[in-house]
Amino acid sequence: MKHGMSKLLKYEFRKTQASKLILLGLTAVAQLVFLGGLFFRRENAMVTGALVLSFLGVGGILFIGLQSVLTLHRDMNTKQSYMLFMTPNSCYRILGAKVLENGLSILLVGVFFFALGLLDITLLLSSYGELSQLWTFLTDLLHQLNEDIQLNAQNFAAMMFGLIGSWFATVMMAYLADVVSSALLGGRKYNGLLSFALFLALSILLGFLQNLLPGMSPERIILYFMLRAITSIAFSVLIYFISAKIMERYLSV
Amino acid sequence: MSDVTGKAEKNTVPGTLESRDITKTFGGKAAVDRVTLSLEKGHVYAMLGPNGSGKTTWMKMAAGLIKPTSGLILFESQPVSIESRKKVAYMSTEPYFYSWMSVSDVGLYYQDFFEDFSYDRYTVLLKKMELEETMKTTSLSSGMMAKLKIAVTMARDAAVYMLDEPFNGIDLLARDEIRTAILEYATPDKLLLLSSHLVEEMEAIADRAVFLHHGRLVESVSLEEMREERGLSMADRYRQIYGHGEE
Repeated sequence: MKHGMSKLLKYEFRKTQASKLILLGLTAVAQLVFLGGLFFRRENAMVTGALVLSFLGVGGILFIGLQSVLTLHRDMNTKQSYMLFMTPNSCYRILGAKVLENGLSILLVGVFFFALGLLDITLLLSSYGELSQLWTFLTDLLHQLNEDIQLNAQNFAAMMFGLIGSWFATVMMAYLADVVSSALLGGRKYNGLLSFALFLALSILLGFLQNLLPGMSPERIILYFMLRAITSIAFSVLIYFISAKIMERYLSV
Repeated sequence: MSDVTGKAEKNTVPGTLESRDITKTFGGKAAVDRVTLSLEKGHVYAMLGPNGSGKTTWMKMAAGLIKPTSGLILFESQPVSIESRKKVAYMSTEPYFYSWMSVSDVGLYYQDFFEDFSYDRYTVLLKKMELEETMKTTSLSSGMMAKLKIAVTMARDAAVYMLDEPFNGIDLLARDEIRTAILEYATPDKLLLLSSHLVEEMEAIADRAVFLHHGRLVESVSLEEMREERGLSMADRYRQIYGHGEE
């Protein structure tokens, strides 16, 4: 079917819709608490709001990845698997939709919280003059220690992309471990242990490959994180093809 | 019965479903054991056998959900594939819809993925089965769920329908509705394959029977021939094979 991929993608988003709406709702509440604290000079509320927002940002991205792995597991190991695998779609498409949904969700949530963080920091610095002075002092100090170090949005954005890329690759490694567990090791002794060992081995391999890249230095912060993001994504693409090939050949649901 | 060559042919035979020396093992035990079987359009087949005889596994292999350990399973002389899923409608005995779905969502899902699905036909079938589109699938009784599975499967205009235990958990009146819905599709251009423990029920629908035992094919036979040549009904033959006087 021509639009099979877009339909699959639509249903992948639908499966995770509820948890994303909950995350959005909690974020809205935490943001209101933070803004309330900021405008009414209630520092406790402001700090609580900021802490909860930080937790939701990090926790949200982690949760979306974990939820994606659990959804894949359910889609291969429960009766709901028929809903996917009886449709005229290849495993490449089925898994591709899952990978895209997860990658886009992690990226969008990451960008959303990054933008919200920038907005909140800007509001905070403009409302509290003394904090603005502290920020300037910190950046000056770092600049004096090493003139290449800069606390700016570009560096933070590069770091965010690097971390998101690594997390995405971790989720993809969990995908492959789960696919191997379901398609090749199903019903065998030590299935869980072997698939977890595969996950660890892949993580070590990616870490080893990334250690071959240039190390981090103050003048190359952006390059450092972008290279890590690119290698993580390239590794993820390779893992996707291996996983889909295994599913296509061996998976019985 | 077809020639066991281990290869698919280039020429397709419309509406046929066959397995050649097909085996599926789970943990070393054969659920389906070297079954060679050919099913043709224009017939309603009853696939019979007690639990563990291999009916569901054979159907799932024909639907492309389970990969055979060895042998070939063919639709229109080609190995089952993504293409065959466009023309083969399979209904599992277990409920398989996503928990967030309503009856209407189930139809929309099928409409999104199967070109031969008709939402209008689905609506008609739902009405016959006394199901509301707004009902949540999680709130359906086992009987209602069975009717929903039938409605959504039969709303496809497929070449092959495989219904695994369509009468499970269904009362007598609902069975009549389901039987009527199924028989509407028993036309010369379609192949229907049904499995059930309810032998008498199947005798009223099917014109051919496939008997499986311990994963092996006992026989695939025309009911009319069996009656005329051997003087046996489907139930008689069932008792012969699976009863104490087992072959």
